[in-house]
Amino acid sequence: MTDPDTESQGSVRQWAAGAGLDHDPAEARERKLGILSDFCARVGKQPDELVAFCILRKKATGERFLSVKRREAVNDWLDKFAAEQGWTGKEAVVNANVVRSFLIHNGVFIQGRVWRG
Amino acid sequence: MEFKQVVGNRRTIRFFDPNRPVEPEKIQVMLEAANRASRAVNADFAKAIVCYRDELTDEVREQLKTPTTTVQIDLAPVTIFWYGDATFVNGAQDRLKELVDLGALPVTHGWTHPYVDDLVYPQVLEPLSKDQLATTWAVSVEAGLAIAQAMLAGVDEGLGVGLHAFNAAGAKEVLKVPDHWIPMWILLVGYPAEDAKGGGQRPRRPLSESYYRGQYGNPWTEMPEVTERLKREGMIQDPMPADASERMREIKGLAERFGLPT
Repeated sequence: MTDPDTESQGSVRQWAAGAGLDHDPAEARERKLGILSDFCARVGKQPDELVAFCILRKKATGERFLSVKRREAVNDWLDKFAAEQGWTGKEAVVNANVVRSFLIHNGVFIQGRVWRG
Repeated sequence: MEFKQVVGNRRTIRFFDPNRPVEPEKIQVMLEAANRASRAVNADFAKAIVCYRDELTDEVREQLKTPTTTVQIDLAPVTIFWYGDATFVNGAQDRLKELVDLGALPVTHGWTHPYVDDLVYPQVLEPLSKDQLATTWAVSVEAGLAIAQAMLAGVDEGLGVGLHAFNAAGAKEVLKVPDHWIPMWILLVGYPAEDAKGGGQRPRRPLSESYYRGQYGNPWTEMPEVTERLKREGMIQDPMPADASERMREIKGLAERFGLPT
């Protein structure tokens, strides 16, 4: 079940618009939002905070940049989360990539696992 | 394949068939093409390490990835790590004199052993080798020539190719490359899982925007009959259509196949 706060977040609305979530069948949309919501709960961050976590600012100039280490941390969290959920095989890849889709549509260039099966 | 067709067919492939092996014979063709590239002072600027994905341990493969190259590295059966050798000046005198003796550097153009020993080496090459910026420039240009030939040879062999940046620190540790090798690019190699033509040629600006005749500001004038001939011969191909719906459908299908985000 999706946390009602999840959909109210600007980053989630941006994801929904960019990824065409609103054109998905209701079940698929709910599933994707549920995965994001559960992941965010697991790492103790709201969706907007998860996006912000990946983007740092240079102390000297205030310029925004994407942190490699932070994205690596997100990938580690996703691996652990997928294992905790009991996902295996293609399901594990697809579901973790739901969260990456959310980040990508919020300007976070992140890549993860591929199903080569 | 005809040369112009090879040039016209090349695309940066991002979706490789992960389970279709690349024949080592084809990789050798690519390496030989690199080895035949034009090079200053007949030096071996370009160095490469060929890695077959499935011969690497999971741990090593993870070390080579970054959050921006994971998908490509996982899909491509072969990754060629390209470097440039900053010690290209070593042995340059002997190589140049060998070319003089063979007549490749002819006396008609001023080439002699004394010229190499007394001028080229002490006044050009040695100072160049001590200038880090100049060395990096020379190595990058020369290695790039070799990499381009390898890439085109791969296309000629029916393979998909794509150049990318890589995690140089991680690669140095894993591949154990010497300190004087400067990281260039990785060349991913495999059979395309996407349309090998990638939906059409990528947008390019007209020649007149980059190329000039006589002096800057006097743009090269295209000859329409040459342009038409290059279209017939495959160097110039249909561009990606403005309506990208077909390409987007293809990407969606590939995303479903590989479990990738959309």
